[in-house]
Amino acid sequence: MSDAPETVGVSSYVGSPIIMATVRVVMPFVFTFGLFVMFHGADSSGGGFQGGVIVGTVVLMLGIAFGIGATRDWIGPRLPVALVGIGVLAFLFTGFGSVLLGAGFLEYSVYHDLGIPHATKYGIEFVELAIGVIVAGIVTGLFFSIAAGVGGERE
Amino acid sequence: MTAALQIALLALVVAAAAATAVLRSVLSAVVAFGAYSLSIAIIWVFLRAPDVGLTEAAVGAGVMTVLFLLTIVKTDSPTVERTFEQIDLRAAAVALALVLALSSTVFALPAVGDAGSPVATDDVTSYYLDSAYEETHVENVVTAVLAAYRGFDTMGEAVVVYSAGVGLLVVLNREVFG
Repeated sequence: MSDAPETVGVSSYVGSPIIMATVRVVMPFVFTFGLFVMFHGADSSGGGFQGGVIVGTVVLMLGIAFGIGATRDWIGPRLPVALVGIGVLAFLFTGFGSVLLGAGFLEYSVYHDLGIPHATKYGIEFVELAIGVIVAGIVTGLFFSIAAGVGGERE
Repeated sequence: MTAALQIALLALVVAAAAATAVLRSVLSAVVAFGAYSLSIAIIWVFLRAPDVGLTEAAVGAGVMTVLFLLTIVKTDSPTVERTFEQIDLRAAAVALALVLALSSTVFALPAVGDAGSPVATDDVTSYYLDSAYEETHVENVVTAVLAAYRGFDTMGEAVVVYSAGVGLLVVLNREVFG
């Protein structure tokens, strides 16, 4: 890598005003759509997995428009991995929490005892959100890891 | 009208798949693969599977294309002096034979939307459709099955995604920064 300075890599990032302006305009809508798919998966098509990927795509768009290295520095190396861990733990706690309240594993209706209305529905929504956080974290983490080191880029 | 659209989409899927296989330039193959994913996502929507279509469009056409592009930047691409790969006839014959062998099972499938198919008349299906809303207060039965009735399966899938992703991140980061 180091003996090929002419490598057309990600490090040879050239800012394009067209792509930057497009991403700036489109990004809020894509992000909102991703959150909508994630939160609305219970009542329409979609769910945590699809919404998480769409939210992760926002970071990919930012990376392509403003430079992957700059985006990674902005987000930080730990946040995607932390999100993945938080998502899995949230899912597990939802499961074991219902056991602690005296019901079966992931039996959401028992959360009604804690004063949550429509406990099953919101339990499903919460789990979908956890899945979305996992998937979004994995997508961004993979994107940064695969992009790192292209064209001799080092941290 | 719909049938013509579906036939056109199927033709596009087959053409994009063939292009992915025979194009010599890796970049062109990645672009053709993105087109293949997008057209198959539209076919899923036609087949009344919007959840699968959304996944295919977001993962197959979106994220995978970006990850493939990033990967081929890192590899030495062969100098492209001709557009198409030289096709090994024996390998093509094996691939064709596999396609034909798998196609023989297509006739065993029920017609699309067949009300008398085993999937539609099964007790489990009717149970989910009848009682999913009452038991989970969720209008999308797919979500109800995934997150409530089979929540344990979904948790396993989430853990699989977690382990595979974290494993890949550890290996890739060691390769890059280690």
